Amino acid sequence: MKYVIIGNGVAGIQAAETIRQFDSEGSITMIGDETFPPYCRPMISLALEGSVDQDKLHIRSAGFYDDLNIRPVLGKRVTGIDVDNKKVLIQEKSARPSLQASSTIMDLICKLLSIFGGDPGTEPRRGSETGFEFDKLLIATGADPRPVKATGLNLKNIFYMRTEVHVRQMLEILPGAKNALVLGGGLVGFKAAYGLLCRGLHVTMLIRSDYPLSMQVDEKAGRMILDQLSEHGLEVKVGVEVTGFEGIKKVERANLSDKTAIACDMVVVGKGVLPALSFVPRDKIQADLGILVDQHMETNIPGIFAAGDVAQSVDIARKISWVNAIWPEAVEQGRIAGMNMAGRQTAYKGSLSRNVIRIFDLDVMTAGLVNPPSDPSYEVVSSDNLRLNIYRKLVFRNDKLAGFVMVNAIEQGGILMSLIKNEIPVKIPKAAMLEPSFNYNQLMM
Amino acid sequence: MKKVVVHPERCVGCMQCMIACATAHSQTKNLFSATLEDPLPRPRVHVGAGLYGEGFPNRCRHCDPAPCMFACLPGAIYRDWETDTVLIDPDKCINCASCAMACPFGVIRYHEDASAPLKKTVAVKCDNCLERQNQGLIPACVEVCKSRALTFEDPSDAMKRKTNEVAQSLSSDTSRIEIAPGFTLLNTIKRTQVELKIEN
Repeated sequence: MKYVIIGNGVAGIQAAETIRQFDSEGSITMIGDETFPPYCRPMISLALEGSVDQDKLHIRSAGFYDDLNIRPVLGKRVTGIDVDNKKVLIQEKSARPSLQASSTIMDLICKLLSIFGGDPGTEPRRGSETGFEFDKLLIATGADPRPVKATGLNLKNIFYMRTEVHVRQMLEILPGAKNALVLGGGLVGFKAAYGLLCRGLHVTMLIRSDYPLSMQVDEKAGRMILDQLSEHGLEVKVGVEVTGFEGIKKVERANLSDKTAIACDMVVVGKGVLPALSFVPRDKIQADLGILVDQHMETNIPGIFAAGDVAQSVDIARKISWVNAIWPEAVEQGRIAGMNMAGRQTAYKGSLSRNVIRIFDLDVMTAGLVNPPSDPSYEVVSSDNLRLNIYRKLVFRNDKLAGFVMVNAIEQGGILMSLIKNEIPVKIPKAAMLEPSFNYNQLMM
Repeated sequence: MKKVVVHPERCVGCMQCMIACATAHSQTKNLFSATLEDPLPRPRVHVGAGLYGEGFPNRCRHCDPAPCMFACLPGAIYRDWETDTVLIDPDKCINCASCAMACPFGVIRYHEDASAPLKKTVAVKCDNCLERQNQGLIPACVEVCKSRALTFEDPSDAMKRKTNEVAQSLSSDTSRIEIAPGFTLLNTIKRTQVELKIEN
């Protein structure tokens, strides 16, 4: 059996490891854009804030590919899939879109790789395509940062925050930076802002909605987070966007849509992510925002699977097809795709948005549908305890939990998550679940 | 292999397992000196009150596969295959609470601990008292439990006994036999008090 996995993020890794559990003979080829040993993407924000060393991000050793007898093809982006002939195509010359004009570390690594690969590196073989045949294919290419529309994007010190390299580049220029501008109040923008505040920079954040994390939390929790960040010096501008950047080589100033300008010496773009599927033939493989998969993580083409940020499946809480581009889903989807690819039929229940964030004195956990539509089948119960600084909001659809927001006292959040995920009817008084004393025992009636 | 088995119907909610657990995970292993330690030792088994005040010793099930293990960002949670115990490496833990979101039983807590680097808040949960077991002792919560709500035995033995008890209680020939008569009475009283709003 020939397995090909596109992507060496956590979904790809989990799939490879799972395939190896069931099939020790088959050949596994992993094609990856990033050339480092597998690392934990959510932790790059911790490297930015300085609470975790850059070299502690790795979740597998450098010998990962050898240990599992995997053929790694790194530093390459896939250019197409020949569905009829079961082939994955890559361009020999690595092409990597980057905001930075030159990313020296990447260049160095690519050069080293080409030396070890026996390629003299004198004449890059532009345009020549290589194919990898497969019996089973996993598309786990993840997602790329959503680009921003503005002039002057070629200036230095404008970053995305998606990969280890991005954070490494930011850390290099941090010592000289004083004023940072963060675009977007979603998870990435928010974590970038928090990290830079922790590093002692003056941070200005531009957000479209009235409060940060509007996709993850409700207004009340959003304002608690905003207050907490503002207390620590974050400046927030609401309802404005950047139109362009100016400066001599490096970014010095950002022009805003309200005709004002902000002085800044670094910019982080955090406008969310888009599934990386430009190479997928949409006339053959069905795709919406992400690649559509069934309950076995298989696409409409038998033998071709998708998992992680690039896959679109049923959202358990929202009851619609949705991309939940989050780490724990990538882990689970990768495992399930791996099992099914190796011939062990395993069903996936669907995805569920969720997040847990610790900032300064605030712990926030959220899952599922937190801002329900106005519909009589939804019921919202909430409570706050100002003395303990606790806020809880539960969203029910009929008798089942569909979402929640918790601020502080989050230890029992996993129980609520499990109620949503397993779609268990709640038979106890809903108010009991708002109490800080709520525990597993209360559900065991 | 012997494991800790929980019999919720026999729990009276005395919380002695919590004290014993905290002491077993202290530096001095002595209740009186443990209360003076910094950080103050905390229990890894949690007796939460039910809706009617019933007790239940909630501890880590050491699930396989363990959802906390897959959720852990830095890979600090691992399984010790020899003892079938899910453990957390306090040096690797980054206190991100991803495991709190994954644990369907709510048994993980976050605080400083004698086993962790000084002043570092980490995820803490039941470790099956491996340190005590290496010394030939049984887990502290079981040792202290007076009502046999916690036992340390081969799970298949416990399963067999339970099957017999359930079969007996369902037998149509005999009058219904309660599995844990005294405890059922106690919990019925607690429940009635709440329902009738009787204050003690």
